[in-house]
Amino acid sequence: MPNVAQNSTAAASKNSSTNAWLSLLLAGVFEIGYALAVGGSEGFTVLTWSLVAVVFFLLTLYALSLALRTIDVSIGYAVWAGIGAVGAAVLGPLFFDETLTVAKGVWLAVIIVGVIWLKLADRTKPAGAAAPAQATERIAGPADAVRA
Amino acid sequence: MHWLYLAVAVAFEILVAIAAGKAEGFKNRKWTSITLASGAAATFFLSKALLTFDVGVGYALWTSVAGVGITVLGALFFGQRLNLHKAIGIVLVIGGVVGLQLSGSA
Repeated sequence: MPNVAQNSTAAASKNSSTNAWLSLLLAGVFEIGYALAVGGSEGFTVLTWSLVAVVFFLLTLYALSLALRTIDVSIGYAVWAGIGAVGAAVLGPLFFDETLTVAKGVWLAVIIVGVIWLKLADRTKPAGAAAPAQATERIAGPADAVRA
Repeated sequence: MHWLYLAVAVAFEILVAIAAGKAEGFKNRKWTSITLASGAAATFFLSKALLTFDVGVGYALWTSVAGVGITVLGALFFGQRLNLHKAIGIVLVIGGVVGLQLSGSA
């Protein structure tokens, strides 16, 4: 029964898409943790922060690779990099002796928009034109991710 | 000195991207090892740079300049096309870095 098969596939892919986006958001949060911990490690001389940095490094890689099995690689990277950079800029002053001035915020925003824009440029096809064949292509995963 | 540390961290981060692309979903052992080793080196030099840079500033510089480097190297050596979209991204990043530096925020 092709129809039955199709329906269950659609339901499964909706589920896996939700999970993939959750993984991607988590990866972004882990990346913020990574950035803050690397800063707090003071050149890897502070043991606790250094260990936390290593743990976040592995967590962010793992969560990102899960997410990129489903989500288009360029979109995944753009969201992940964006969350990490904005989070580090906003939370840095909370954890460390730093200030986020208006000038700094504006120029950081320009840089972050630039890097998100750059990551999106690698999108293979316009979102609307996603053919079923592309789904199999995506499963190839992080391998092709960074070939850009 | 912190700019030098940042530059080395960026270079390793670009190597991470190239190696991860060749690691075939982390099934290829050699390239997976190179990916992880470069990631560790990038992290180490980033932490040295962050001794001087603010975390938010250093992290944004690191990830964005590496992104530009990956795009430029991709166009030069890996047969990627440098289209208008990418050029705009590169200009935004470079403009932001220069602005940050000129405003005394970096």
